[in-house]
Amino acid sequence: MSGDKMEVELAEQKLKTMEHSEQHYFKSYDHHGIHEEMLKDEVRTRSYMNAIVQNKHIFKDKVVLDVGCGTGILSMFAAKSGAKHVIGVDMSTIIFKAREIVKVNGLSDKITLIQGKMEEIELPFPQVDIIISEWMGYFLLYESMLDTVLYARDKYLVKDGLIFPDKATIYFAGIEDGDYKEEKIGFWDNVYGFDYSPLKATALSEPLVDTVDLKAVVTDPVPVLTLDLYTCTVADLAFNTPFTLTAKRDDFIHALVSWFDIDFTACHKPIRFSTGPHTKYTHWKQTVFYIEDVLTVQNGEEVQCKLDVKPNDKNRRDLDIEVDYSFQVNDATRNASGHSAYKMC
Amino acid sequence: MSARSESGSSSATSSVSGEGEWLDIENDEESITIVSLFDSQTFSSWNEMLDSCKKHHDFDFIATIKNLQLDFHGAVKLVNYIRSRVRDQQPVAKNLTLADFEDDGYFKPVLENDALIVSLDEILDSDLVKADTTVSQLDTSQGELLAQKQALEAELESVRTQFSNYRLAVQETLDRRWGDDTEQSPAKAVKGDRGNYYFESYAYNEIHETMLKDTVRTDAYRDFIYNNKHIFKGKVVLDIGCGSGILSMFCAKAGAARVIAVDNSDIIKKATENIFNNGLSDIITCVKGAIEEVKLPVNEVDIIVSEWMGYCLLYEAMLPSVLYARDRYLKPDGLLVPSSGTIWMAPIQDTEYMSEHISYWRDVYGFDMKAMQEGIYDDVRVEAMPKNTLCGEPYPIKVLDLHTIKPEELSFTAGWESKLLRRPDGLDGFLIWFDNFFATSRSEPVPEPTTTPEVFVKAKNGNVAFTTGPSGIVTHWKQGLLLVPPENPPSKLELPETISGQITFAALEENARALRINVTCSSGSKEGKKWSWKLE
Repeated sequence: MSGDKMEVELAEQKLKTMEHSEQHYFKSYDHHGIHEEMLKDEVRTRSYMNAIVQNKHIFKDKVVLDVGCGTGILSMFAAKSGAKHVIGVDMSTIIFKAREIVKVNGLSDKITLIQGKMEEIELPFPQVDIIISEWMGYFLLYESMLDTVLYARDKYLVKDGLIFPDKATIYFAGIEDGDYKEEKIGFWDNVYGFDYSPLKATALSEPLVDTVDLKAVVTDPVPVLTLDLYTCTVADLAFNTPFTLTAKRDDFIHALVSWFDIDFTACHKPIRFSTGPHTKYTHWKQTVFYIEDVLTVQNGEEVQCKLDVKPNDKNRRDLDIEVDYSFQVNDATRNASGHSAYKMC
Repeated sequence: MSARSESGSSSATSSVSGEGEWLDIENDEESITIVSLFDSQTFSSWNEMLDSCKKHHDFDFIATIKNLQLDFHGAVKLVNYIRSRVRDQQPVAKNLTLADFEDDGYFKPVLENDALIVSLDEILDSDLVKADTTVSQLDTSQGELLAQKQALEAELESVRTQFSNYRLAVQETLDRRWGDDTEQSPAKAVKGDRGNYYFESYAYNEIHETMLKDTVRTDAYRDFIYNNKHIFKGKVVLDIGCGSGILSMFCAKAGAARVIAVDNSDIIKKATENIFNNGLSDIITCVKGAIEEVKLPVNEVDIIVSEWMGYCLLYEAMLPSVLYARDRYLKPDGLLVPSSGTIWMAPIQDTEYMSEHISYWRDVYGFDMKAMQEGIYDDVRVEAMPKNTLCGEPYPIKVLDLHTIKPEELSFTAGWESKLLRRPDGLDGFLIWFDNFFATSRSEPVPEPTTTPEVFVKAKNGNVAFTTGPSGIVTHWKQGLLLVPPENPPSKLELPETISGQITFAALEENARALRINVTCSSGSKEGKKWSWKLE
């Protein structure tokens, strides 16, 4: 135990020498609250559990790497499913808790937990058969650990090795959100009788992580990015793409909403979960992008959009997101087009 | 209908770090800020600003300079003409003529240290303008040209001096703010006051939205200021930690002669804009920096308004800054708003909460995760608890008379006692909250410890008070929850037994803005227990 204590102190020392932004990122995961929230996210944890424990034939006698293992829950699922050995890696000091947890659950001989950056540590195995990771952030890519997963894939995964999950898709749709837009954005027009419009511009530029009611969705959902984790590269995480939203009814569009689906295609029976408004709540909720105009759309009409997503130059864990929208119909009074720049930070 | 199933639910999750901006400011010493000709938006270059004017206000500055063949002087007058029209909310014609701004009065800058005027030589010298104007100037006689050149150089020199003074001021401000941080050795960075992180976390919208939308909080200040206009009329007011500027604007609207708004966070830029947009710039002066370090434009003030309260009242430790300002700037008969606060505690028992957050770790998807419980009994949790969580009567542990309290009294030990309201099978812990009182003069006696906000408000016209306790509307402060480990075996406490002990509030050794709370408790003949928590 005292050895562990020293290690905790060393790790904390090291965190303190990091760049402030990085430190904040890793440290924010030290708090219990976030782990409680993630574990209690049933859609998330149960999907991973099913993907692992229902596929014991795949995990049996395999060497498994858990990237960003947190409290070690996925590592323990893999060990219970017959893995020969599981290596869990996490930069956060939560890993010392994970060690205690693994120990009281009698899995210490099956699971090795390493504190450190994937890029800097040495694994006890030169290669692994399976990578498991829960790397997804808000809007899939915000504060995501995907780059670390891809690094681990390129460095450690055997040829024909498996990744759980191995596919991720981002979707967009248009929503009617007048009341809430008024509450979030219009609020700044009149704050206790004062004009607060300088804060309105900032509010418009901050995507909002929140739950959206399915009834608010006005258009068909459109996939804008699909990542195949076996083949994608870090460069794919900056992307731009045009897409078209088609109205499903006569309504207004105040904002775009985005969510993502996650697939475990390597399973015997593929497992998928979605973080969209049409299904059960997850801690990722959805991400809402308010646009300046209100679009008055009729059933079947199309809004042409262009999306540009890239990590911020200064802090790679922040995201710069730009959306162009153009709505052109045979009714000049309803035509609108605009450009919105957002920053997730 | 709102598209949200649970409004406001985002506040806890969309955590903000935003060091990008932080680093930005640190490195970019040279940055200039150009205020748009037509609104309060600011830009870091003149090209961007002029593009925006073209795009959003349909005004082409470059074309106007070219059409009217303006020289430096003409351009200076053009800038000041437009700025004065905008300031006076007069329209600016698209096709201006020289006659519109021939008055030499337009040489007088409308904006102090207008960065656009400083940039004019660069603009006039740019390719956008140059080709045409040089051609046009061929017509002018050489003598005139020389005279013009000399005048221009003189003007330029004076503007440059002005600008370099401005730059120096900016530089000094930056040095003052960042100096500590940049010179810190890594070893030194490990401990102590996390001041910069603290101020930085206030630079973002969300926290200000949360605070403004906390109607218990904001209404209390508004009601006190607007219902007591006679107190504010003609007075000099200091607003410490002004944030988005709301309290300063309340005071200005209430008739204050002058308001000085101080904040050490970047939010003050937004406050400045808000104040400008609401036409209150001539009353409110924004000053960026720590109150202990900034130089205020006045030597004393009549009233200090501040919303300094943190979790469990004293977390974040902003009160010492208010007390510093009180001793340094407040007139002997000056008023503090609010004027006093009372900290309360009560014993609690909440089986549901305990099973949802504590017992949960016993079995997580079949695994024992009790290791995650560590810290649960060491950290103050910030939670809004229902009133029926209390199993004993609340006790007022401390009254802070803000007019007289000394900084060293903010660390204190006090006795407490509570008559049990029901028969709990063991204590789950304690709840901490506070009430705030806004008295209309400092000669009024501080409310008795047991005085509730309702009683105080009824006692005198103009009085305002609010509670952050479990019997009131939930505020963004919620309450402080101190959990204690379960007794084994659980003790049966008999009604109407009274439990009592001591409670200590102190700053945390390694982080001055954090809080340490110790509690001892004994009931009847049983041996006393003691616990300790930290809030950081």
